[in-house]
Amino acid sequence: MKVELKKIQVLRRTVQVSVIVLLLFIPSVSRYTNYVAAREIDDLLEKWDGTLQGESLALIDGIFRGLPGGEKERVGQIVRDREGVLSQTQQFRGGSWSAQLGPISLSDPLGALESILARQKVVRVVVVSLIVPVIATLLFGRIFCSWICPVGFMLEMSDKLRGALRYLEIRPHDMHFSRGTKYVLLVVGAAIAFISAAPVLGYIYPPAIFNREAHDLVFGIFDRAEEGKFGFWAGGLTWMSLVLLGILLFEVFVSRRWWCRYVCPGGALYSLIGAARPVRVSLIAKKCTHCADCIVACPIGLNPMLNKMGVECDNCGECISSCHDDALKYALRLRGGEENVPVFDKSKAA
Amino acid sequence: MAQLMKRRRFLTRLATGAATVAGAIAGGRLLSGPNLADAVACVRPPGALPEKEFLSACIRCGRCADACPNRCISAFTDEAAKTLAMRPGRHQRNTPVIFPRQQACMLCAGVSGDALLCTEACPTGALQRTAKTAEAIQEQVSMGTAVVDENLCHSFNGASCGVCVRACPFEGEALRAGMWEKPIIDPNVCIGCGLCERACVRYPQAIRVEPRALAV
Repeated sequence: MKVELKKIQVLRRTVQVSVIVLLLFIPSVSRYTNYVAAREIDDLLEKWDGTLQGESLALIDGIFRGLPGGEKERVGQIVRDREGVLSQTQQFRGGSWSAQLGPISLSDPLGALESILARQKVVRVVVVSLIVPVIATLLFGRIFCSWICPVGFMLEMSDKLRGALRYLEIRPHDMHFSRGTKYVLLVVGAAIAFISAAPVLGYIYPPAIFNREAHDLVFGIFDRAEEGKFGFWAGGLTWMSLVLLGILLFEVFVSRRWWCRYVCPGGALYSLIGAARPVRVSLIAKKCTHCADCIVACPIGLNPMLNKMGVECDNCGECISSCHDDALKYALRLRGGEENVPVFDKSKAA
Repeated sequence: MAQLMKRRRFLTRLATGAATVAGAIAGGRLLSGPNLADAVACVRPPGALPEKEFLSACIRCGRCADACPNRCISAFTDEAAKTLAMRPGRHQRNTPVIFPRQQACMLCAGVSGDALLCTEACPTGALQRTAKTAEAIQEQVSMGTAVVDENLCHSFNGASCGVCVRACPFEGEALRAGMWEKPIIDPNVCIGCGLCERACVRYPQAIRVEPRALAV
């Protein structure tokens, strides 16, 4: 049991890293598509051989030529099937804000909601792009935050820096804010979208920023190669990436997991959609020894020992992995279970 | 301890207050006008809704730009528009735009698929799915209309050229060659793809796409 649940964290990390790789892969595929469509690809592969850009193109070329329909025979030679490759590259579009992966269209519910409110009309394509995210959230809750969100992953990693700071005997602050902030921000954003008839939260919503920045970064790198300059270059990034950096630094020095806990409007929407999720973290009260390790582990700052995982929990399973007594598990049920009597209670301690 | 808590509460309130004020200012700026307040006319990808509706529906995800095989769709940022002395309106930032003189829309000629790829990629219907047939394109696409500056055009100034006419996807209908290869535009057929502007050998371009009007 223990081993199995540890594996969930390994799986979660693998998914998170794959998402980051995918977010860099998609813009590269977009550029690859351009080069194939313009029949420049063979020249570029030769010209850029041995550089970062050339090797990435060669890798992508290998992948798409390997897919069915990627190659054909011409005068006794195996060559790239331009049409076939171009139809395959069309299977990858977008990023963490809205994406197309094969036949599946995915949109962040926040973006779709704003688009619907701003336009005051529901159209079929929006509904289609919501099917997978909404069903997944209804069943599993805020799993976008814990499994997919690239910024969530970034902030989770930077959370580890706080441990390093402690090791250096610098005690990082942990300021608490109201969790209600994110719901307020969601309502304010929705209201602005409705009144000014334009989606606005995409400008400050970190996964949307990450989506744009990943494109800017990759496109910038390829633009540079076209000018004959090679190697990694972060100059394609815009000042919006400083916003992400600011959030990261604020979390490291001032308030642990500030954005995800208190501010994120997308997280708020996912919380609300997943409020009645059947898959919940639940406690086996008689096994619990009240060691409070799960409270420390919880990135959202909840108390799994109370056995009342409400709307905020993102089902990441960190508490389950941290439990030494096998007292926590995922369970199928609709409401919070029997209440566990906490040994220490904040209200009594004060 | 009580002192410390007081200070903490004070700092928390200060931070919350500052955030609220910042949010209110940002919100107020955004609310200070309807979405067309300081918008500029620009060439949108094919199948785009009228500008006002387009700005409402588009979530600025960039899927259309990823889909474009001709790399003509870019995000309307200050940076991208700078070389053309344009500036996106406050609600136009990051929306997809085409700058025909840099790269024009080739209506997905020469690539597979039965619809224009960007219209197929759009998750919100801001770009409406358009089949890749002449009839559907004529019916659904209006990015703008080409206009000729007769003072600049070679063909109007004694040197027959005709490059723009050869570049037109509706050659002979939207753009046909008159005497001395003078381009003659039929605004009812021209969809504003911009291939003529892209092909024009004059600098500044003698033929260019006038983007569709902001409000209909």
